[in-house]
Amino acid sequence: MSYNYSIVIAEDEKAIRSIMKMVFEANGFNVYSARNGSEAMMLITSKCPDVIILDLGLPDMDGFKIIKNVRQWSEIPIIVVSARSLERDKVNALELGADDYITKPFGTAELLARVNTAIRHSLSLKAMKKTDTQTEFKIGELTVDFKKKRVLINDEDVHLTQNEYKIVALLSHNAGKILTYDYLIKNIWGPNLQSDNQILRVNMANIRRKIEKNTAAPEYIITEIGIGYRMNEE
Amino acid sequence: MKPQINLKKTALDVLITSGFVIGAILLSFILKITDNTSASAPMIFILSVFLVSRFTHGYIYGILASLSSVLIVNYIFTYPYFELKFTLSGYPVFVMCMLVVSIATSTIITQNKQQEKTRIESEREKTRSNLLRAVSHDLRTPLTAINGACSVMVENDDFISKEKRIKLLNEIIDDSGWLIRMVENLLSITRIDAENARIVKNQEAVEEVVADSVSKFKKQYPTINIIAEIPSELVIIPMDVILIEQVLINLLENVVIHSNTATEIILSVNIMSDCVEFSVSDNGDGISDDVLAHIFDGYFNKTYEKNGDTKRSMGIGLSVCNTIIRAHGGTMSAKNKKSGGAIFTFTLPAGEE
Repeated sequence: MSYNYSIVIAEDEKAIRSIMKMVFEANGFNVYSARNGSEAMMLITSKCPDVIILDLGLPDMDGFKIIKNVRQWSEIPIIVVSARSLERDKVNALELGADDYITKPFGTAELLARVNTAIRHSLSLKAMKKTDTQTEFKIGELTVDFKKKRVLINDEDVHLTQNEYKIVALLSHNAGKILTYDYLIKNIWGPNLQSDNQILRVNMANIRRKIEKNTAAPEYIITEIGIGYRMNEE
Repeated sequence: MKPQINLKKTALDVLITSGFVIGAILLSFILKITDNTSASAPMIFILSVFLVSRFTHGYIYGILASLSSVLIVNYIFTYPYFELKFTLSGYPVFVMCMLVVSIATSTIITQNKQQEKTRIESEREKTRSNLLRAVSHDLRTPLTAINGACSVMVENDDFISKEKRIKLLNEIIDDSGWLIRMVENLLSITRIDAENARIVKNQEAVEEVVADSVSKFKKQYPTINIIAEIPSELVIIPMDVILIEQVLINLLENVVIHSNTATEIILSVNIMSDCVEFSVSDNGDGISDDVLAHIFDGYFNKTYEKNGDTKRSMGIGLSVCNTIIRAHGGTMSAKNKKSGGAIFTFTLPAGEE
């Protein structure tokens, strides 16, 4: 363990903040915790952490403002903490550039896993930018061949339509990350399509019938209910 | 918002008032032409005043209707026709009748409405206090257990073996987990607008909701075998997806908590003519009859609490399910299968209502 990842935790509830601090310190992180938005902004700009955990309900500052501000100068992964019932907030945070969200109340194991995924993801993104873009994406029996624009299951072409391929390719490029319904629709059908999830749903249902063994228990493309879709990583 | 509603109400009342008065004029005219007598005109106008008082809000419209009726009857339907004359015999009696009819009717109607309102209010208050009592009751048991376990560990730190401590800590995790789930359930109810029991529905794909619920459930209970049977075609119906997921997870958890012997759960979705039917069935020991009778109003009837273990009553969970499904315009039922085990079924309407 030569390098310790650093993390900024912005959470106003003391009990939750100290538990998070304990969990991350026990796992070898350098933890900086903030009680409110301005403290968080100060720590983020001065410490330049590897990952940020941000509660959207901070008392002094709108969490969205922090995301916007950070995204102007940095790609530090941000994990948003929010209540279950506020889907709209999660979608907004993701669209502003947050990397992931976790719903209160959460388990510590889940939190740690999300943070590790986000860090790994940001590292591989950095690495990818240095080399060339990916030529293929592989998970389980699924292969996405970006050069030939094909999707294979067990090396058999599954014959996706053009839009279906575009959806799978977009999700694969961002494997592990949630893409919101709006983001997907804008990138596949362009900005002029009225934001109607129906067309995306139908395409997704068709894709699942072609690549998944059981549509009631998908292995590859996971639905984040009310938010969007995510391609599994491993 | 409010002035707009009031304006709309006033407009409607004015419309009703003028409608009935004009109706009375027309009817009297028709009778006058056909029978060539206006004897029945006052009767018709008294009826119209009664109807106006019945269907409008407050006294004002009824009084307006009676005054205008007096004038109209005087002007059009009593001799000398098309002339106002206030010296006719019996005229004050007629005016008095009109006013008494309108004021008396309005008073009765207003009183009735008031009574209905208080009745609904007290019903709601009763439900609320029942729920509150049940919640406090259900909170107390796990909180007492957590408190006890912590005290034991603090006070006897030197004598408690590691295994014993781990056991106590695991009990704390279980109890607090149960508390969290119950609070989530209660929060779900607050998503339903208390006044109209309305919810915000979006078009959602059934297979995605089922898949997500199953995967969340599996994370928590990896040992139970669960089979999801969904239709091969894509089904999209309107629902509040967070709430329906809560219902599915509650029903799945209910199997784990309740039926001690269940090893397999089948979650199946069937398309009916005008609705979609979801069912959760298990191969456990089923539900006893006295529990079955009150299964969805758990917190109103705690009579089946024989073992004293309220944690297993799941009362709130199932009544929350029922509330959510009813708010969606669907129905919910529970029964025992002939082959053993319980089956919970609910339906959601397929189209917009």
